[in-house]
This record gives sequence, C-alpha cells and structure tokens, in this order.
Amino acid sequence: MYEVVIGLEVHCELDTKSKNFSSARNEYTHIPNINVAPVDLGLPGILPVVNEEACRKALKTAMALHCTTPDEVIFDRKNYFYADLPKGYQITQMTKPMGRNGYLDIMVDGKTKRILIHQLHLEEDTASLDHYNTYSLIDYNRSGIPLMEIVTEPCISSAEEAVTFLEDLRDVFLFCGVSEAKSDKGQMRCDVNISLKKKGETKLGTKVEMKNINAFNSVKAAILYEIKRQSALLDEGKEVVQETRRIDEDGKTYSMREKVDAIDYKYYVEPNIPPVKLTDAYKEELEKSIPMLKLDRFEKYIKEYHLSEYDAQVLSKNRDIADYFEEVLSYGSDIELAVNFVTTSVLSSLNKLEIGLDEFFITPKMLSGIIDYVHKGKISLDHGKKIMYQAIEKKKDPVEIIEESSLSQIDDDQVLLDYIKAVFSENPEQLRQYLEEDNQYVVNFFMGKVMQKSNRQANPNRTLDLIKQQLEERKKEYEGK
Amino acid sequence: MEYSKMTLKELREALDKDEVTSEELFQEANKLAHQYQEEYNPFVTIIDKYKMKKKKDTIITGIPYALKDNISTSNILTTASSNILKDYIPVFDATVYKKLKEAGGVLVGKTVLDELAMGGTGTTGHTGIVYNPWDKTREIGGSSAGSAAAVALGIVPFAIGSDTGDSIRKPAAFGGVVGFKPTYGLISRYGLFAFASSLDHVGCFARSVYDIAVVTNIIKGYDPHDMTSLKDDGKDLTETLDNSIKGRKIFYIKEICDRSQYDKEKDKTVLEVLDNFYELLDKMKENGFIVEEVSIDQDLLAAIYPTYMCISCAEATSNNANLTGIQFGPRGEGNTVLEIMFDARTKGFSELIKRRFVLGSYILQKENQEKLYLNACRIRRLIVDKMNELFKTYDGMILPCSGGAAPHFNEATDQLSERYLLMENHMAIGNFGGFPSITLPSGFIDHCPIGINLTGKVKEDDVVLNMAYQIEKITGLKGMKAGDERCMK
Amino acid sequence: MVSKEDLKKYASKLMFDMKEEEYETLEKEFKIILKQMDLIGEIPNIKEVKPMTFPYITYDVEWRKDEVDENETLTVNEVLANCKHQINDQVKVPKVVE
Repeated sequence: MYEVVIGLEVHCELDTKSKNFSSARNEYTHIPNINVAPVDLGLPGILPVVNEEACRKALKTAMALHCTTPDEVIFDRKNYFYADLPKGYQITQMTKPMGRNGYLDIMVDGKTKRILIHQLHLEEDTASLDHYNTYSLIDYNRSGIPLMEIVTEPCISSAEEAVTFLEDLRDVFLFCGVSEAKSDKGQMRCDVNISLKKKGETKLGTKVEMKNINAFNSVKAAILYEIKRQSALLDEGKEVVQETRRIDEDGKTYSMREKVDAIDYKYYVEPNIPPVKLTDAYKEELEKSIPMLKLDRFEKYIKEYHLSEYDAQVLSKNRDIADYFEEVLSYGSDIELAVNFVTTSVLSSLNKLEIGLDEFFITPKMLSGIIDYVHKGKISLDHGKKIMYQAIEKKKDPVEIIEESSLSQIDDDQVLLDYIKAVFSENPEQLRQYLEEDNQYVVNFFMGKVMQKSNRQANPNRTLDLIKQQLEERKKEYEGK
Repeated sequence: MEYSKMTLKELREALDKDEVTSEELFQEANKLAHQYQEEYNPFVTIIDKYKMKKKKDTIITGIPYALKDNISTSNILTTASSNILKDYIPVFDATVYKKLKEAGGVLVGKTVLDELAMGGTGTTGHTGIVYNPWDKTREIGGSSAGSAAAVALGIVPFAIGSDTGDSIRKPAAFGGVVGFKPTYGLISRYGLFAFASSLDHVGCFARSVYDIAVVTNIIKGYDPHDMTSLKDDGKDLTETLDNSIKGRKIFYIKEICDRSQYDKEKDKTVLEVLDNFYELLDKMKENGFIVEEVSIDQDLLAAIYPTYMCISCAEATSNNANLTGIQFGPRGEGNTVLEIMFDARTKGFSELIKRRFVLGSYILQKENQEKLYLNACRIRRLIVDKMNELFKTYDGMILPCSGGAAPHFNEATDQLSERYLLMENHMAIGNFGGFPSITLPSGFIDHCPIGINLTGKVKEDDVVLNMAYQIEKITGLKGMKAGDERCMK
Repeated sequence: MVSKEDLKKYASKLMFDMKEEEYETLEKEFKIILKQMDLIGEIPNIKEVKPMTFPYITYDVEWRKDEVDENETLTVNEVLANCKHQINDQVKVPKVVE
C-alpha cells in the first residue's frame, strides 16, 4: 500500500465589474472580443491599473482562509510565451502574495482535517483558445479577468479529501461573495499534483501534474485513476515519470508532456504598479466583512444551539440558508422550532417553487412571528406550517393571517366542552375503546373531530387539555361503577 | 519671415498678431520636413494634411510639432523604428498625444528613433540613419534622434521624445537644442512604447528653456491610465523661470570633471569640453550661483553604466515580449504558434536588439538574478540615495553631457576608456532616481554644439527650469538651429 | 562562463535566432558586462541594500475603482485592426495542441 500525497492549485475568477488591470467589462459571454481594452490585448504602450475590488476580494478570501496578509500590495511579472498570453508576461504575485500560511478545516468521515494553504495570490486570466480541426482561435474577452490562485501544501491524502476541500473552498468563495465559482463557466479550475510513496517513507515520490480540471468529479476521477496507475507501476517496480497529464472524458489520464526542465519564469517586480500600503484600519474593516464559514457555523450550531449533526449540516451547508436561519434566531425565536421550520417547510418550499431565498416571500422576521405563536401554544405546529404556505400563496404576512383567524378562535371552555360532549356522544365506540381498552389513540381522533366541528376555530391546546380531562373524568366514573 | 528660426514663443506672437496662420505654419513645416527628409532622415511618417482638433486655446494652439515614433497615435502608423512594427497602426492615443491634440498642437510627423528606443546613436532605426543637421558626417545621437533633428533643423519649434538613459538629453546636446526629461511620473507614460518601465520618461525638445516650460505645462498631469503618474501640483512652470537664482547651490562631480585625469593628446576633446564647462561655471558664479565640487565614490560611478544595462535590458526583454506577430505586427511563418512567433521575432528585430534581449533575459534568470539583476537594483538605490543626500545641500547637479561634440559615424565606440565611459553615461542617474534633468547648449567644438546637463530634485522641475533659464541667459545660446552663426565664434 | 551554445539556447527561449557572427559579438559583450557586474558584487555590504524598483515611492497611489469604462473598450474591429489572420471576429493561429 502507498500513501497518497496531493497538492492542489486552485484558480478562481473573481466577480468584479471590470478586469484586473483595465476597465473593460468582466463578464462571461459567447460573443468574442467585445470586452477588450488595449491593456488586455497587450498593445504597445499599455499600462496596468489595478482594480481595487479585485484586491479587496483576494485579501478577503486570504483572511477567510486564515492567511497572513502583506504590509503592502505589489505585483510581479511572470514571463513566458504562449498563444493565450498577449503581453508575453502575466501580472501575478510572487514577492508579496495576498496571503500566506493559511488553512481551511474540512470534515471527512466525521473527522476534521486541516488543509494547509501555502499561498493565495492575485493575477490575471489569459485569453481563451478555441480549437478547431486545423487551427485555433483566440478570444481576448477573458484576458485580464481577475484570477485568484490558491496553492495548498502537499497535505491532501485522498480523492475524497481533495473533492471535499474543493467543495468547501467553493463555499468559502460563495460565503465571502468573491466569486460565482461556477466550474462549467471555467470560473473555478484546478491543477492537481499527485505522488505516491511507500507508507512511512519520508521522501516524496515522483510528482505527476494534471492541469486545468474544471469539474470536481473529474478531479476525483483523475486522482483515483492516477492512484491506480501509479500503484500498478510501483508494484511492478517501475518508475513514475515526472510529467504533465490530462484527464479525458473516459476518466483516464493521458500523458501530455514529460517535464523537460522547469520553465524559468524570470519573475521580477512589476515596475508599473507602485506599492500600496495596507493599513490596519483597512485590514480590520475587511476582517469584519468576512462571514462565518461553513465548518465554523456547523460547530457553533452543535455547541451553542445543541443541534443534531444532521440538522447542523443541513443548515450550515449553504450560506443563504445559514444566514436565514441565524436571522430567524436573532428575533429570539425558539431554536427547536426554528430548526424544524427551516429544515422542513422552508427548504421544501424553496425546492417546490424552484427559487432561492432571495426570492422567498417569507422573511426571517415573518417566520419568527409564526414560530412565536406556535411556541406560545396559540397555534399548533401543523397549523403554523399551514399558515406559512397560505402566506406564500396569498403573499400576505403570516402573522396577519393568524391574527385574523384568531379573532374567531374559540377559547371559551364552555363552548369547547359543548363540542367535546357532542363528539363523545356521536362516537360511542371510540369512547368505549378508551374506557374499556385504555386506547390512547382515540385522543387524537376526538381532537380531529372537535377541530372539524368547530371549523378549526377551537383553540387546539386548550381543546386537547379539555378532551384529556373529560376522558379521565369519564374513566373514573366508569371504573367507580 | 523665416519661421524655422523662431521659437514657440515667437510663433505664438506671430499667430496672435495674425501675421501668419496655423495652416501656413503647418505647410511651411511640411515643406521643410520633405525637403530635409532625404538628407537627414528625421521622419518615419510625415503628415501631409493639416489637422487641428483643439478642445481649448493654449500657447501651443496652431503650432506644428513632431512626435517620436514610439508614441501611440490612433490611425497614424507607429513603428518604434522596428521592422516588427513596420505596419502597426495604433487604435488608441497616448496621453501625451491626446493632451497635445486637445491643446491645439498640429502634428507634422512621427520621428525616427533607435529601434525600440534601445540605442544612443540614431543609427539603428528600420528606416535608416538619422544624420546630424550640424554636420552630416556625425551622429545626432539617440534614441530620440529624429525629434532632436527635426527641432535642430527648424522644421518644428518643439518635439516630443522619450528618455530611458539619456535618450532626449544626449541628442539634444548633439543637436544644439534644449532637451528636458522631467520628474518620473510628471508626464504620463500611457501610450509610450515601453523600453524599461522604471526608467522610461516622456519629455520634450525645443529651442529655448521657456518653450520647454510651455510644452511641459501642456503635457504634464496625473493620468488615471498610469499608476506611476504624479498627482497634479498645479504649478505653472513658466511662472518661476525668471526667479532669482541668487544663492542656488549646485555641484559637479570631481571624478568626472577633474582635468588632471585626462591625457592632453588622447583626450583633447574632453579637455575642450571641460574648458567650456569651467568657463560656464565661472560665469554662473558671477551671476549668483554657488557652484561646488563634490567627490563621489569612483566604484559607484563606474557602476552606473553596467547598472543601467542590467536594469534596462532586463525590463526591455519583458516589455517587448508582446511583439510576437500574433495579435498585431507581421505574422511569421511556421506550423505552430511558437514557430510563427519565433519566425516573426527572428525577422523583426535587428541584431542589437536581440543582443540586448539575450543579455536582459540572462540577467533575470533564476540562477543569475541575485548577482546581476538584484545587485543592479541595489546599486541603483545606492546611487539614488547618494544623490538625494547631496540634494539636501544642493539644488542641482551640473555636468557636461558628453566628452565631445557628436561622434562621427566612423568612430568606433569600443575604444572608449573607462573614465570616458563615465563622462558619456552619467545622465542615467536622472533615470535611476526619476530626477528632473535638462540639457542645454553650452558652446561648440569644431563648429558643432556641445551641451551641459542640469539635474535636480524629484518634483522640483520648476527649480531646474528656473536655473536652466538663467544659465541659458548666461550662455546666450537660445533659439539655435543647425548652422547657427554663433557656432563660428 | 557563458558559451555560444548557452547564448543560442537563451535566444531560442526568447523566441528568436541570430546569425553565427552575431553570437560571437554577443559573447564578447557578455564578457564585458559580466566582468563589470563582478566588480559591483565586490562593493562592500551590497547584499544589505534593498533592491530598488521604483525611482521613488510616494505611497499616495490609489487603486482604480471597479467600474467599466466603455470608452476604453475597443470595438471588435479595433481589436483585430492589426491582425490579418482572423476568422469569426477572432485571431486565427495554427492549432494549439495541449
């Protein structure tokens, strides 16, 4: 058996209005070359002008990943020739990346694992190439889009860990609002470095690199395939070749090129971008804007709210849901009821309506209103849920609905007793079952009948109490006979 | 009237008095441009149609001028005097061009430079050698060769150049005109084809210090397209020109100017230059300047040239990596993208450029970077620190621009002695620290002009121009063009 | 010492070739400049000096606000104005394999 050592380099396009170094639009489009400024085309005489928002988002992500941030922001040039690189160099960060030495905790098989982040830096995307039979076409729309690269330490030891990390990392991007991180649009891409070594061996094995994998399940497939392929080679006493491989649609990896000698990118400080100091005030303000991350919320829900792992997971998985849930609680709602409502009614409504929380009619405040009524026993849980659906349908404040109907709610014991007595006499068989056979289920039966008879206006809690009390009295009478 | 002899200021007056129209000035300039083109080759492109699209009235409204051909001009061929850009027609305007256009300047032509501005002779442009208007057997110097020649020939009263080591100031000296490279960042570099971004400056040539101040006023200013451009200071550079210079302190460097280190026979012209230099210093002292000799570590001075080579070549390699013939420029032949890039670059660059690129790339290589590139950047700091230290005491530094008048084409450059190298290359100091630096004519050797260079503190362009204006009064060499009779004295 | 073969390799990494005699000139140039740089390395305490990239630093530089400037955006015709090899509004190159 071998130990698997994986390091990931994740690229993520940042969600900004304009590009990283020009004010051309940053958008995903199929119409070629419509979002191109001279800077993005690498025309003679161009100068980069740094996008404030791109820096902000990269720094925010760095902080969310617990990285140390630099005292000032500068950029470097990475020099190489390629068809998709119009300037012949990429503006990136080497000397002082936006973040260093961070981590992200992930949960695999119920255990927390800390994935170490080597560095996070801000750079620019390249132009995109479309390949045809005999030629390729260059579209410069993507050229210069702000790109964030996150490099992990080689500390990932399975495909599952790799994919969980990627999923959680995407959640960080989404939680922080820095990117849509859609892999089908190429907004999140990943390079995988993988090597195998004998258990207990300290020396790393030969590294194989797989570049630009978009979909997470392709990452998984590629890693699993490589583990199998490299294990087989090592079993046979053969050597793993240091090379770059690509993954095909069949889930297998194929050699692209053997590593000749490493390219020397001749990095040096970009002289056209003077340093900008990061003040403590700026960093503090940015720090404050970072929302709690998934795993932190998960842990908080369990520790502070005493939620089950299942509920905690459902609620922390998605930032919108978690924020919604927390806002409901912020109005002082009962935690158990809030969990119940959000994990069932709210989520199923969203599913059914095929909408997101941003379009959902019931605000956290409205929901907390319903929960309050249920909590105080003024309405039943079921009734509360029905009110919620009614509110969605009528686009009406649920509390108003409750208040309107409660004007006619029957709280008077005498009236309720009349209903109960009538129901008892109409259903002698059920009464007999209680008296003779001690059948407790009939309580609910009578409850239903009273509600029916009262057009659901009977106060449910009071009715239940009265039914139980009446049945007890009759039983005493029956036993005394 | 002979407009070609007039300064910008005089032309303005003539225009304002309706003695001449802007279009007539343009036609005259155009005629001269064509007339001199064959003989001296200042232009890559001569504009034949009068065009003025001012947004406001300024001193330069209606005045003809020329632009170095490494400044981006939409719809006008811009070649950087290189085959790799021989058909390149920009789609955007350099900020300096935009400002001149809006101020009503009338473009007469795009001037020849040393290929990609990398060179100091004016002999390496793809359209041929630029000849010195004072003596056709001599260089005009470079890289802003055509701009210097156009002003020296009287075709235009002012021209725009760029300066990375001394590319404005050297040819200005050899052309007998004034050349100014202001503080780094005073004039936007947006649209200037980059040679070495941390050393590149836009600047101008004219026939008087006053005209230099006028043109600088027009083209300076913060530009959101250039992060290294300075915030506006609101200074009108013409206003302070005539301020008194009484008590202004300037220094010269002993290790460059000490006569005793030069040989009476072998370094005859250097000594003539120094005679002229010291004579000027004496007159300056009479006029209220305080001039002192300062000694600077010889090793540091000797490091100026290699430091300049290392930094400029390193940056140039990267800055010109966009010239691949893919998205613009002549397409190379080949079966793969890399092959067509290879072919385009092999054919597109001349030998000198390639040699500098290889050097620059070697300097940046991982294994050499520490010893070559970073050490050069360290020396740069030592030199700049030394200058800033001196500038605490002094308002400026004055030195001869070169060890003689413009060299003849047949003079081999590798015969230069090491001390001579210093005399020829010290002006790069101005680029290392982004100091404002001006060259103005100070006299003649063999009837050809020589110049002095005055360098001051960062952001004190006004002080440098003020001092230069007063020195110009002392030399009396204002408003010269080639063949000026003053050279016969 | 840098050999002519090394120089050829460096040139090819910069995407061009030179003539034989040009490499010879270059070899000589390298000798001169490397000798000069050796001298620089001998300047006392040089290693302790912070390398300088910018002529001066003001720290009053501001980043650009994240706004789209349509005036700065080129039309497709402008993007392709200097490229003769184009199809479908894109730059055409030989097929890029990889």
